[in-house]
Amino acid sequence: MELRYTDDQQAFRAEVRAWMGAHVPREPLRTLECEEGFHQHVAWEKTLASGDWGMVTWPEDYGGRGLDLIRWLIFEEEYYRADAPLRVAQNGIFLLGPTIMEYGTAEQKAAHLTPMAKGETIWAQAWSEPNAGSDMAAIRSTAIRDGNDYVITGQKTWSSRAAFADWCFGLFRTDPESERHRGLSFILVPLDAEGVTVRPIRQLHGHPGFAEIFFDEVRVPAANRIADESEGWNVAMATAGFERGLMLRSPARFQAAAKRLVELYRENEASASPAAHEAVVQAWADAEAYALNTYSVASKIMAGGSIGSEASLNKIFWSELDRAMHRTAMSLMGAAAELQPESGENRWLEGYIFSLSGPIYAGSNEIQRNIVAERLLGLPR
Amino acid sequence: MQFLFSEDQDALIEGVRSFLDGAHGPEKLRALDGTPGDGGVWDALVSLGLTGLLVPEDQGGLGSGLAAGTRIAVELGRANVGQPIVDTALIAAPWLMRKGATDRLADIAGGGCRIALAHPINPWIADLDGADYLLGDDGLIDAPETKALNTVDPLRSLFAPVDISGSDDLLDLAALMSAAQMLGATARMLELATDYAKDREQFGQPIGKFQAIKHQLATVAVKLEFARPVLWRAAVALDERQPRASMHVSHAKLAATDAAMLAAETAIQIHGAMGYTYEVDLHFWMKRAWALAGAWGDRAWHFNRCDAAVIGGQIALGPDQTFESEFNNA
Repeated sequence: MELRYTDDQQAFRAEVRAWMGAHVPREPLRTLECEEGFHQHVAWEKTLASGDWGMVTWPEDYGGRGLDLIRWLIFEEEYYRADAPLRVAQNGIFLLGPTIMEYGTAEQKAAHLTPMAKGETIWAQAWSEPNAGSDMAAIRSTAIRDGNDYVITGQKTWSSRAAFADWCFGLFRTDPESERHRGLSFILVPLDAEGVTVRPIRQLHGHPGFAEIFFDEVRVPAANRIADESEGWNVAMATAGFERGLMLRSPARFQAAAKRLVELYRENEASASPAAHEAVVQAWADAEAYALNTYSVASKIMAGGSIGSEASLNKIFWSELDRAMHRTAMSLMGAAAELQPESGENRWLEGYIFSLSGPIYAGSNEIQRNIVAERLLGLPR
Repeated sequence: MQFLFSEDQDALIEGVRSFLDGAHGPEKLRALDGTPGDGGVWDALVSLGLTGLLVPEDQGGLGSGLAAGTRIAVELGRANVGQPIVDTALIAAPWLMRKGATDRLADIAGGGCRIALAHPINPWIADLDGADYLLGDDGLIDAPETKALNTVDPLRSLFAPVDISGSDDLLDLAALMSAAQMLGATARMLELATDYAKDREQFGQPIGKFQAIKHQLATVAVKLEFARPVLWRAAVALDERQPRASMHVSHAKLAATDAAMLAAETAIQIHGAMGYTYEVDLHFWMKRAWALAGAWGDRAWHFNRCDAAVIGGQIALGPDQTFESEFNNA
């Protein structure tokens, strides 16, 4: 137990703080769920990359800085302290990137990692289908081998970022006779390929944050498959672990929101209920607990450990914390909570709407509780 | 920055847990019911070095810090060991060290003296009957005789108050160790309820196959997981006398209280009518959790301390403020 930063770590913090202070846009960007906001956020990714901040934990060969997880946490703390924009590149850098790092070939690493870290390629996820949501093993979209290609036919849905993204990654059934989680392969598909149709879906907030993707005999090289044929399920589970686990929702995001929530409370103290008062303190306490737990997990990984099903504990905690925090903000704002300003967004309202998706995406919290009960507590399936 | 215990500390914890699993299991608790004491494990805990855990090496101890101490307190809570060991070795000893009162430390490390604690925030004194000394704000006094009281916890003895003043120094140490014991109790109650759910069959299958059961237990597991690191930070902050240490202790007590109360209510629900009997072992931990939840500052008291810090503006907030450092404090 050594809960002090080294001089080097402090110097790194100062370096990040100075860079963010000089580069974070002064005016908030539009939401990345709309077309204008998407492009603003892509431009920000390129600015980040110009300072080599795209993905600090990645090797320098792939546009990273080769830093350890404690420095990643410091980076994230300074990133959210500076109120920098949300990461439109997150599907790539937090999910597909680590997957390719672990399972990809040298060619796949060379082709995809650097453009990901530099914000040049934005990735969408393609997991769910109309009849395969929480039950992801019910996937029916097929990828049939034809020479050196796969020919993909089927439909994906709830595909985050797909409305504006360049590529998607997901699971397809390469063995049409197979059932459930056998016979699935993990394949990368460019969204501008012939036969791909993207139909944006309006989300709760009115913007096309996700989309349906239709595949009509889409031909992609077999070299776009990650890992062996029929190994897709295991690869996807690893990706899901990255998503629920350490990186997708860094604690700094919630600590920054908790700080803004305290400020909102102070502005509305006269009309706040005792319950909202208590919820504000609880939000701070839980954001701190999440941060401490992340430091603990990062230290464990740096010492050679790993996280498995514990990632599900994380996902339950941050998603329910985020919802509670924004619910409290809505309560503090009272009648003003519904107002949309003439320019920009009502940040708490947008955040509340987004927080409602947290307990659903990346595997619903009901699925996460099953995983905790079965794999951590050992209850029967 | 390393938020991780050393392998040596892990090994000590493993040893203590395995000893207590054998020597202080449910049969022992049933045997001790109504006549609590040290459970006959005092001498063994002394020989494991626990009474000297926090005492400096030149006084015959191991010289460990409070973080290691809280981990031991978690194990003692998990095994529901009576409090003389916690009060003497994990609260009184570090309090005396912090005050520079070193003359009894070697005796404590050697297991030769037991200390009960007095503080106006919980004026009823636990385990006074076996104590040689009573620790209050002015240091050690000979243990007085006061009237024995009844408590809901059959493994805890409680005595009438004495007139004594109290400061936050003792309260912080004791609240930290109470939180640690509650997390131990939480872990044990989760284990008991999980084991019961695997064993008990209804509708032709173990009830643990039902999602209604699984999800409740998973929620307890989440509470426990995210309370632990709060406890470790509080222990380190208090050890290093950091400016925000008292608030971190209060956060730990809040998190541990909420986890323990949820674990207790969930565990009794999952045990069904059996949980409402005196026959299953669950009630021992549940009642200890109730006792510790109110002791050394209840939920409201510790909440108010966090509230004053967070909303009252006593501390800087934000993502760079997780740990105190010169840079953050600048």
